[in-house]
Formats: sequence, structure tokens, C-alpha cells
Amino acid sequence: MNPSGILLVASLILTAGGPGADEHLLAGAHAFREARYAEALVEFRVAQELGAPESGDYAGATLVKLERPLEAIEAFGGLGGPGRDALTDYYRAVAAYDARLYLAADRLLAMVGDRSGPKIADQAARLRSRIGSVLAVPPVPAAIDWYLAQCAEQRGLKRPILSRAYCQEAAEQALRRPDHYRLSEAQAGAVGTLP
Amino acid sequence: MITQLLLLALAAQDPCAPVDTAASPDREAATLYRRAGDAERIAGFRGTATVAYRKAAALDPADAASRQALRALCAEGASADAQDAFTEGQRRMSAGDLKGAAESFAKARRSGDRSAALLEGVCRYRLGEDAAAEAALEEAEGAPEHQELSRFYLGLLALRAGRSAQAASLFDASATNQGLAAMAATLSRMAQRDGPLVIGFEARVGADSNVSLASQAGGTGSASGGMMGGGSMGGSGAFMNGDGLYDLALSALWRPLGPSGPYLRGIGSVRRYLQQNGYDLAVGEAAAGWQWARAGHGVLGEYAFGDQRFGSSPYLLAHRLLGSGWVTTGDWTWSTLYFARLEDYATAYQPFSGTLQRAEVKAAWTFLPQAWAALRYGFTHDAAHAGVASYDEHGPRAELHAVFTPTFRAGLEAGLAWRQYAAYDSTLALKRADTTLDGTLLLEWDVGTAWTIRAALEGREVRSNAPSASYSKLVPTVGIAWTKGL
Repeated sequence: MNPSGILLVASLILTAGGPGADEHLLAGAHAFREARYAEALVEFRVAQELGAPESGDYAGATLVKLERPLEAIEAFGGLGGPGRDALTDYYRAVAAYDARLYLAADRLLAMVGDRSGPKIADQAARLRSRIGSVLAVPPVPAAIDWYLAQCAEQRGLKRPILSRAYCQEAAEQALRRPDHYRLSEAQAGAVGTLP
Repeated sequence: MITQLLLLALAAQDPCAPVDTAASPDREAATLYRRAGDAERIAGFRGTATVAYRKAAALDPADAASRQALRALCAEGASADAQDAFTEGQRRMSAGDLKGAAESFAKARRSGDRSAALLEGVCRYRLGEDAAAEAALEEAEGAPEHQELSRFYLGLLALRAGRSAQAASLFDASATNQGLAAMAATLSRMAQRDGPLVIGFEARVGADSNVSLASQAGGTGSASGGMMGGGSMGGSGAFMNGDGLYDLALSALWRPLGPSGPYLRGIGSVRRYLQQNGYDLAVGEAAAGWQWARAGHGVLGEYAFGDQRFGSSPYLLAHRLLGSGWVTTGDWTWSTLYFARLEDYATAYQPFSGTLQRAEVKAAWTFLPQAWAALRYGFTHDAAHAGVASYDEHGPRAELHAVFTPTFRAGLEAGLAWRQYAAYDSTLALKRADTTLDGTLLLEWDVGTAWTIRAALEGREVRSNAPSASYSKLVPTVGIAWTKGL
């Protein structure tokens, strides 16, 4: 089991929610520890139904493991602001990276920093290094077009968290170009003023 | 333990496996599991849906909806098998079993899974199974979410097959994905400079701080004694030997069958000094060879004939046979090279004539997608006609290269060599031994698809037990190169 899995389980044991939800959170944690991610996700989803507030983060981490980054971002409630702890922010960053939201991922990894243990800090540093190479050059217009297309598609699918995330990324990427390509359109999408 | 867990996990995701009733039924919990199953099924995640439905059915024997959903999932067994095959492919790929992974992905791909097609294509590309890789990647290209990565790998396949124009266009198309953009742009430019026929021209201007290799002691090798006076041909002290220079070079490479196959190449270059024309050098070389290259390994054999003129006089005719081979494992490339050169110097330099042999081993590590470092160690044996001109040399050389942006890259090389001459030099009254430290810093900016501006700083420091053979020099140059693939 990897270090992030151990930390997740430890975190769960310490923060398990109210009656009913607890047993599902713990069952999910055990399944997660044994890399049975499909079972872990089901348990976390049930705990979510039972009103365990933290289960969204655990479901998000599990969805990252299941390589479902878009749903993970939704489960985390988006990518803005700091998460509950460094480990959650690390998983949020991985979800963002997998969804090609590189600037958002980098921002989250910067927040992981010293708040985490050495293993997660090391993994975070590696991921930041990979992101650094991606961000070494300004984006081509086609890349910003792609982010805006994702923003529009997710808006059409009524997935506002994802729509905002892609428009936000498009806006920040546009700012990295001297011509601020399609910046105003991206900013409008990021604050939700587009139809 | 791992096997048990694997079996447990597989059973939990098998919709056809019998459902054991829970010791204490719980209809309320069963409802929650069924809802989770419904959500996962609608979203298209069969494995997770099966886990949830099996839980629901176990907790509530009367839950007909979950059992019906399991039956439906079971009836679509082929897809479930495909999912298992995909998972197995991922596991094998992570474990480095590319062959096994490709077969698992191929099984998953038969049910129309384009993610499996993409990964199969990647595995087969890395295995060198180019035709199968191309078929899988073309299938994956049909899925919008895999379009760019598929095109990127199709570009690599085209580049490997020598279809450079197609490769360039595929790399350009894949650059929409920002994660690929930098690499794709670099490869696109590389592809445009590749092809069955590649021609190049380069012009440089610069300076040489010590044209005649004069020692800091004030004399030159030949003037102050010793036939092997650092190759010096006369002149005064080191600080008097600086001169401006310009270089012109033309090159051509013809590979009718692409990178793997026979080739012919030729190069002609001249170096002219602005004042010390006696040190001008002209080099011509023609070579024929065969390169056999596959994914991750290859070998090359080549014959070359070279003609050099020093000043305006004939200097050296040489025949060279060269062989090399390389193997790539993960981020590492291991290579070896050997050549033997039959050297026939002009009359004035006849004692230098003989056979020079060099063997080299090299390890290169790609530590970032566009950065690599290498360390090599070489051995040279020069059996010249004159014993005092014969030597053995060995030493390491380190390289560091990085592509910083699609148009800017840099390289740094440094080498150390220890040379021991074979015979006692009665003129120098010693058996000569040299230590050479040399380095090169190279910066390149692409200013168009074919044009590159190059700046280089070369330096060398030679320390010899014969003081007159010790020297140092710096050669800064800046130039422009044009390379075109046709």
C-alpha cells in the first residue's frame, strides 16, 4: 500500500462521521487500503448519502485512484481554496493534473508544501516538476480553445464545477500569452456569466 | 495474500457470481447501495455498479431491482471481460510487461474500448511492433478524448518509418494538448528536418585564442622540441596566437528506406583564419553505411573516406570502419561504438601515419521528458609508424542536454582524457604523458522550420609532462545553420 493510502486510512479513523456513516467510511477505508477502489467508492458514496460531510473528499481520492478525475473534482467540490488537509489537496491536485488543469494542480501542490509528511511532499514535488515542464512555454491558441470547449461542454452537461474549472484554467492560461487570447470569454465562463 | 485479495476483488466485480445473503439483512442500507449502483451504471462504470448491486442484493434478499441489474450486467459478460482485460493490461503495463499488457489491451479493444486501443498502441510502439501499433492508434484516434495522444504516437511511428512530412503534421495536430505541446513542437521541427534526403549548410564566425596550440611557456611544440609537440606547426606564445575565423560546412544524408536501412552521407567543411592562413583546414568525408533500428535497440555499420587539407596542402587521407549498437531500457540508453581508421598523412607528417582505433561505452539517462544526461568512457589506441607518435588514451566524458522551449535548447559537455605516448622521445628527453580537459557549451535557437542560430564556446586545457606541449585555448563561435528534409 502506498503512503498516501495509509495516511488516508489514518485520517479516516480519526475523523469518522456520525452513526451509520461511520461503518461505511471505515469499510471504504479498509477497501481503499487493500486497493479495492470500486468497493471503497461504493462505501464512500453510501456514507455520503448518510450525510457524512467528509465522505466527498474520500470519494474524490478514490475516484482519483479509479482514474475518473472529472468526477473526483466534483466529489471534492471543486479546486478552489485549500482543502481539509494536505493529503486531500494532493489528491485534488492529481485529479486536476489528470484533467489537464495544470495551473490549478500547481496551485494546490504549492499548498501541500510543508503541511504534509515527507513522502507526500516528495510526490508533490515530482508532480510539480512535471507540471513545470508542461508550463515551460506559453500555451498555443489551440490549447486555450480546448479548455474553452471543455468549459462549454461541461456547462451543457450541467456540471458547473467542471465548467468553471476549465474556464478558470483557460483564463489563467490566456494570461500567460502576450495577446491574452480569448481572455474575456474565459473570465466570463469562470465567473458563470456565460449563458 | 495478494492472490486472495485479487480473487476477492474480482468476485466483487463479477455480476454472474452467486450472491451470498448477509447474516443480518438491512433493507435501508440495501436501498443506499442500490442507488449507488444505479448512479454508477448510468455513468457507465460497470465494475463499481456490480459491487454496489451485489451489496444491495446480499443485504436484502427481496431486492429484485438489484438482482435484475446484476443479471443484465451478467448478460453483457463480454464487456465485463473486456473491463477485466483492461485492468489486467494496466497492471502488466505498470509492471513493465509490455508484451502481456498489449495482449490484454487487445482483448479489451475487441469490445470497442478505445482507451484500450490507445494503450495497446503505446505498448506496441514501445515494443517496435509498428504496424500493429498504427492500427490500434488509428482506432483510438476516433475517440475525441484520445485524439491528441493517438496522433502524437502516430507521429512517432511516422518519424520512425521515415515519413517525416506526415510525422510533422501529426505532431502539429497533437499540440492542442498542452501537456504534449512542447514535445510535439520540438518533434514537429525535427520531423521537418528529416526525410529520405537531408541537406544542411552552416556558417559560423568566431575566434580562436590559440591557433597554433602554443604553450604558455612561450614556445610551440615543434619549435621547442618533440615531434609530437601537441600537433603544433609553429608560431609564437599563446597570447600571440589569437585570430578570428570563419567556418563553412555543407552536409547531405540520403536514406532511401528511412532511418532503418542503407545510407550515404557526405560532408565538406572549411575553417579559415583571418590572418594565420597556414592553419586553415579543409575537410571532406564521404560515407556509406547501414543502420538497422528497431524500438529500443539498433546497430549501425559504416565505411567512410576522408580527405583533409592543412593550409593549402594535402594533409591526411583516411579510411574508417565504424560499428555501433544501442539498447534502451526505460529511461536509460546503453550504447557502444568502435572504429578503426587507417591514416595516411602527407609526406611532411608521415610519422603520424598508422592505425587509430577507438572504443567507447555510453549510458544516457532521460531524467525529464526533454532533458537527458550521459556519461561515456572511451579508449583510443593510435599505432603510428613512429613510436613517439603512438599513444594510448582513455577518459570519461559527461553530457547534459535540455530542450527549454520548443525553439531553444542547450547542451553542456566536458571530458577528461589521459594520454600516454608509447616511446621515449629523445628530443624532449622524456616519455610524454598528457592530460586533457575540454568542454563545450552549445546554445541553439530555432528561428524557423529550417533555420537555427547556434552559439558555442569550446575550451581545452592540456597539461603535459613536456612543458612545451601544454596549452590552453578558447574558441567562441556564433553561426547560423539551415537544415531541410526532402
